[in-house]
Amino acid sequence: MRVAMIGWEYPPFKAGGLATHCYGITRSLADKGVQLDFYMPKTKHTTVSDKPNLNIIEVGETEIYPYDRPYNKELAGKFYEAVYRYNDLIVGKVQGKYDVIHCHDWLTMKAGITLKEKTGTPLVLTIHSTEYDRSGWLYPNQWFIDIEREGMEKADRIIAVSHFTKRVIVEKYGINPDKISVIHNAVYPIPEGHKKEIVLFLGRLTIQKGAEFFLRAAHKVKDYEPDARFVVAGTGDMLPRLISQALDLGISDKVIFTGRLTEEEVRHIYGISSVYVMPSVSEPFGITALEAISAGTPTIASKTAGFSEAFNNCLRVDFWDTDEMANKIISLLRYKPLHRTLSREGKREIELFTWYQVADKTLGVYNGVI
Amino acid sequence: MTSVCLYFEVHQPIRLNRFSVFHIGNNNNTVSSYFDSQLNQEIFTKVSKKCYLPTNNLLLDLINKYDGKFRISFSLTGTFVEYCNQYIPEVIDSFKDLFKTGAVDMIEETYYHSLSSLYDELDEFEEQVKMHSRMIKKLFNYKPRIFRNTEAIYDNRIAKKVAEMGYKGIITEGTEKILQWRSPNFLYKSTNANIKVLLRNYTLSDDVGFRFSARLWPGHPLTADKYARWMAQSEGDVVNLFMDYETFGEHHWIETGIFDFLKHFPGKVFEHDHMDFVTVSEAVERYESVGEIDVPWAISWADADRDVSTWLGNDMQIACFNELKNIGRKMKEKRNKEMLDTWRRLQTSDHLYYVSTKGMEDGDVHKYFSPYDGPYDGFINYMNILQDLKQKL
Repeated sequence: MRVAMIGWEYPPFKAGGLATHCYGITRSLADKGVQLDFYMPKTKHTTVSDKPNLNIIEVGETEIYPYDRPYNKELAGKFYEAVYRYNDLIVGKVQGKYDVIHCHDWLTMKAGITLKEKTGTPLVLTIHSTEYDRSGWLYPNQWFIDIEREGMEKADRIIAVSHFTKRVIVEKYGINPDKISVIHNAVYPIPEGHKKEIVLFLGRLTIQKGAEFFLRAAHKVKDYEPDARFVVAGTGDMLPRLISQALDLGISDKVIFTGRLTEEEVRHIYGISSVYVMPSVSEPFGITALEAISAGTPTIASKTAGFSEAFNNCLRVDFWDTDEMANKIISLLRYKPLHRTLSREGKREIELFTWYQVADKTLGVYNGVI
Repeated sequence: MTSVCLYFEVHQPIRLNRFSVFHIGNNNNTVSSYFDSQLNQEIFTKVSKKCYLPTNNLLLDLINKYDGKFRISFSLTGTFVEYCNQYIPEVIDSFKDLFKTGAVDMIEETYYHSLSSLYDELDEFEEQVKMHSRMIKKLFNYKPRIFRNTEAIYDNRIAKKVAEMGYKGIITEGTEKILQWRSPNFLYKSTNANIKVLLRNYTLSDDVGFRFSARLWPGHPLTADKYARWMAQSEGDVVNLFMDYETFGEHHWIETGIFDFLKHFPGKVFEHDHMDFVTVSEAVERYESVGEIDVPWAISWADADRDVSTWLGNDMQIACFNELKNIGRKMKEKRNKEMLDTWRRLQTSDHLYYVSTKGMEDGDVHKYFSPYDGPYDGFINYMNILQDLKQKL
């Protein structure tokens, strides 16, 4: 089977879960014998593959930005232009006979649609997040929604990363549910480090990820657990606002903003943190939660986070309920048996989430459209 | 003769309010704020309407219909009776009506349905049994002769203590762990005490308790006729069918046909000439023990493991259990009735049951009964309350 997969990011270049996903899915599909060409924009890093049947093909000179929904107007203009240019270049670059074209999110949809129309090759589309998620359900941009809907309508088959996302696709985009398969993400486990009293937020600092709720909870924890430190790892357009929020709350001595971390630093911080908090306003899956849990770090996640549909050994809160979030953070720091049990049971359950399983289910989807 | 010994556990736990770390040590909270009386009343009312009242009515009809030859036994926990007194007194009246027929026996247990039998010292256990005994005496003017510990938790030490307290029989699970090749359909004797042991026939009990409405089970649909035939084919003196009373109308809704099943059950049993019904006391009087059972490690009828791991299976459960147990002495020295009552209400085994992290099928059962979003929330809430109680000491 020959598959052309059109992506946007791939380690070592990484803005979010999409890179992690593409890394896992391409490698495991290759191990299952799929001949896979992975297309992505050219970056400053060089991306290589050590598997003979997995080719990483970098396209053009497109400069890409670290997140997919810039708020800065000038940056946004350049960004959309870059996305368009990349999609155009892809159409010219993807040559030869493929059994399936597989795209991810709106960033690569245009190319997928054009290629399908040009060559008649079946199109599979994975939805990692929708415009509704990225806007935190506040002011979704119709321009993105239209692109997404067109892609969803024209795809032969859609993979949603959770039942939550499947519902959004059905209800908000009017897509036939029979066309959508749910395949949850997986994780390559991260080693556990020597735990410190660190409460971690890690993700893009955008409205979607809800870091402001993390800071509010931190403010409530501070007096009860004076030794706790709060780490906000990642960057994004909300960073300045979050920094001033921390100042206003009087917790700037407890909070560390790390900015963008390297892959190695990310693994390290997962390993040494005692609690991971994922207070996303909207979270189609939440691959970072699996990463944290795999490193033995008990996780408090938004009730709606996609991964928690299929995962038992984590704590759940409403993202806006910062009292309960603080209650759970303090409990995890204070009650060792709770921490120990969640850490152990979480790691045990995480073993069920392998990329090979994701590959098997994805192959099932491919076979259904060929 | 093969006797059917039908016994029901009637219990409702006292569910807790949401109690966060921020409430700990706050003096505005009285200990009564630990308990979610609204939720408790709601559930008790619901279950009374669906189960207790209609099932009691049906059983009374059946006892009258068969001239008292249909015989049953109950154990009512103290927390259950408190709910009756508080919310729906006619529920306890209907149990009194049943008892007056003479075809109904009452079984002893700990008032709080607690794990006090697993404490290092058995004085608290004894006190809770005496509390239950006083309650039964007051309600029914009766002194039970048969004992059944919380969820049938049993070991040699418990058997010895219960025998010393004067009981003639004790109920536990008929698990292969203690029986090996032997049948549960006989009476046994404890290896270290002079007390007869009634063993639950878990296959036949669970056919009704768990599987009655399971469509994928080969026995489905279970009719009274079929069930009576299975029993008639069983060898032994006594088939012990022990189950939650909530089986009728609550675990299995009326739509499953569970009440019709119960209605026809005694008649179908009586169609077999060699069968009759006995209460637990009658079983112990009538039949001799055929062997000894030796149980050094506690067993129970809970979950697939049939041991105490349901309540003490993970670090969180053990931490809560110890926390509660270890403040016992101080609690008693304090001589404050409300505090002591609260401490004991918190001993109800259900609080630890909600903190179980067992996976697979058992986990689903736990989820069904739990008022929490999983065991971890259950732990946090329960532990926060225990910390507050400790500070109030």
